Amino acid sequence: MITIVDYGMGNLGSVFNMFKKIGVASKITSDLEEIKTATKLLLPGVGSFDKAIQRINTSKIKEVLDYKVLTEQTPILGICLGMQLLTNSSEEGIEKGLGYINASTKKFSSQDKKMKVPHMGWNLVHKSTKSKLTDGFIQESRFYFVHSYYVEVENQENSILKTNYGLEFDSAIQHENVYGAQFHPEKSHKFGMKLLENFSKI
Amino acid sequence: MIQLEPNIEKASVQICTRCIYDERVNAITFDEKGECNYCKQIDQLEKQYGTGTSEGDKALELIVKDVKKAGKGKKYDCVVGVSGGTDSSYMLYLALKWGLRPLAVHYDNTWNSAIATENIRKVLSALNVDLYTHVTDNKEADDIFKAFFSASVAEIEASTDLALAETMYRAASKYGVKYVFEGHSFITEGITPVGRNYFDGKYIKSIHKKFGKLSMKTYPLMTFSRFLYWTVFKRIKKIRPFWYIDYNKEQARSFLEKEYDWKYYGGHHLENRMTAFFHSYYMPKKFNTDYRNNTLSAKVRMGKMDRIEAWKEYNTEPYLEADLLEYFKKRLSLTEKEFQDIMNKAPKSWYEFPTYKKRFERLKPLFFTLAKANLVPMSFYLKYCFPSKNN
Amino acid sequence: MLQTRIIPCLLLKDDSLVKTVNFKKPAYIGDPVNTARIFNELEVDELTLLDISATSNKKKPNFKILAELANECFMPLAYGGGINDFEDAKKIFQIGIEKVIINSIAFSKPAFITELAEHFGNQAIVASIDVKKNMFGKYQVFSNSGTKKQKVDPVDWAQELEQLGAGEILLTAIHQEGTWMGFDINIIEKISNAVNIPVIANGGASSIEDIEKAVKQGNASAVSLGSMVVYQNKGMGVLVNFPDTEKLNKVLK
Repeated sequence: MITIVDYGMGNLGSVFNMFKKIGVASKITSDLEEIKTATKLLLPGVGSFDKAIQRINTSKIKEVLDYKVLTEQTPILGICLGMQLLTNSSEEGIEKGLGYINASTKKFSSQDKKMKVPHMGWNLVHKSTKSKLTDGFIQESRFYFVHSYYVEVENQENSILKTNYGLEFDSAIQHENVYGAQFHPEKSHKFGMKLLENFSKI
Repeated sequence: MIQLEPNIEKASVQICTRCIYDERVNAITFDEKGECNYCKQIDQLEKQYGTGTSEGDKALELIVKDVKKAGKGKKYDCVVGVSGGTDSSYMLYLALKWGLRPLAVHYDNTWNSAIATENIRKVLSALNVDLYTHVTDNKEADDIFKAFFSASVAEIEASTDLALAETMYRAASKYGVKYVFEGHSFITEGITPVGRNYFDGKYIKSIHKKFGKLSMKTYPLMTFSRFLYWTVFKRIKKIRPFWYIDYNKEQARSFLEKEYDWKYYGGHHLENRMTAFFHSYYMPKKFNTDYRNNTLSAKVRMGKMDRIEAWKEYNTEPYLEADLLEYFKKRLSLTEKEFQDIMNKAPKSWYEFPTYKKRFERLKPLFFTLAKANLVPMSFYLKYCFPSKNN
Repeated sequence: MLQTRIIPCLLLKDDSLVKTVNFKKPAYIGDPVNTARIFNELEVDELTLLDISATSNKKKPNFKILAELANECFMPLAYGGGINDFEDAKKIFQIGIEKVIINSIAFSKPAFITELAEHFGNQAIVASIDVKKNMFGKYQVFSNSGTKKQKVDPVDWAQELEQLGAGEILLTAIHQEGTWMGFDINIIEKISNAVNIPVIANGGASSIEDIEKAVKQGNASAVSLGSMVVYQNKGMGVLVNFPDTEKLNKVLK
């Protein structure tokens, strides 16, 4: 069962729906006790970095997540803003990120008129470091992206998928039990279903 | 549907020795060899139409000649009803092969699946055939479906079937076309036994009047006068080519798959969710009727399937698409309780409501003449103009 | 490289899908949720739903249909029509819709766009601009489903909307809509070159060649299709469909 962390940001319903479609049980909750007993965590996110971090802090979800992720090594998948939250910091705000992966979140520069910001639409991903999350991905796997900030890992071994948008950025990352996907698997048809299915099997 | 013992040797009912219709089928009789009257009916039709013989071929050739003649100077010379299914898709291919200029006609009851619409698109695009569609406002279509469901009668598909017939006539009339081609084949499909299910325009109107809520504005109702208008006045003929020629459904399927990337939905009526509901759930669960014996019996008669195998398959649970019932309830705004309550209500029959049946019986001689002139299908005459025997 | 988005645009009128010509004469297309379901099965990249009767009838968005749609679709959804207050927008996002499309209210309450963008992010806010070309070739902006003429110049308005925080512009040429006569490349180009945010070209598409023109000549970031995806062909019957992906990819490379 996947515990979808509800800290007030992100369309959790869509993620729940896709899990349902592929026959994986999931539950949306903000209850600290339920998050404490989770066997797998999903951290969604849509909106601004600072607001998200603040909510995670004030709701006390931060302490629980730290324990689950760092001590118990519970697998966690951060989606879109959720992935950015896993990093150390973001150029979008001033708050400190969760720091579960050694990476930082940067802003796309809007110098090239053809590379409009936000990066919005379907784009291809290519495998970097091998990972269980990307097992079985076909060559031309594509996902739906919508973001103005991108993640850059410090160590290349943490980059499991890369995508090109003016520059090559890390579209999916992993460090041990911590996973992140910049795109929206719940909005990426069969490609998203494959990824979520892989996560459910980890 | 109470499935019986799948082993035909141990069956507790009498089963036709030639097909697999059993004693529960409406108005069935068995002769001294144990062969049923429906098998005989098919033999008789085969003889009458010369199906698959040079006589049948010649008869169809003459019809095609007439179609071409009548269509001279017009944009199209025939109308072919399409659903995305095997028969209608293959029929289009044949029509073009025979040198005809068909207009494809589709009635959209708003419950189509992507497979159906994609099949229609692929075949029409490859053959370069134009499409005429009638779409009923989804709220109206659902209102009529819900009315039939609430009435606890079996004919929940009636509104779609009759609307398709009316739409084909309208399309034909619009372009001055005198011939409507239907993909029905009594050999591959069998003849649905008379009596149990029935529909006509008045029946639909009665059920809707009693149980419906929205007025019928976009639904194409075929009233009796409309029916006579199309047949007697406009003289639009109904032709069923597969009644004359050899038609191998499996071969047609492979051909469509190979040539047009057409997709088969496995015989589970997944092309339209209302049809799927009707066949896989509604009829078996509420009316103890499973129509799979129509096609299975047809296969056995043609020697395509072993009778023992057919009986076994018939006595397994029909395939039900996951989410189908959820979708049905959602579309018709039914709670689980409302749905179950209606499903559990005692079934009612068509003869408890006003219909045109008596009128059809009274006008038997007229319809016999029309049937002989191909203005109504012969099967229509046989089904509608004789008093029905009900079990 | 980013793949150009080709987005079916469906019009909702009182719970049914319709298709208009120059924003007039709505013709029945079918059931909204079943149609969306078909597009989901066809794995289209994105879907847009516009309620063309909400603002004029002063109705709230049909949350019930939106929830059903969001349940059926595993691709991004955008919704527009009668979104006038923050709570409605919030509800729409909670249902699982990715973007809201704002048109008429922006003229009377431009700050609404900023409010939404600040809370939900620019990328979630699409500003819709409907233009008509008058007989002198001048482009005029209209609101309220093409019934109310606005005094602002389309390029100026697009730039202002970008300033206010819109993440995308949905540009519809009313004079081309439903006609199968191709996009108005001129206005698409003008607007695309004037702003940094993506512009979605809408109105008039008849073929893959038209799509190519909008992208290559008009510099549109995305293309919206109406008649092309609900009719078999111009003047022909209703048939939900989507252009061949291979052909599209070949042309848009």
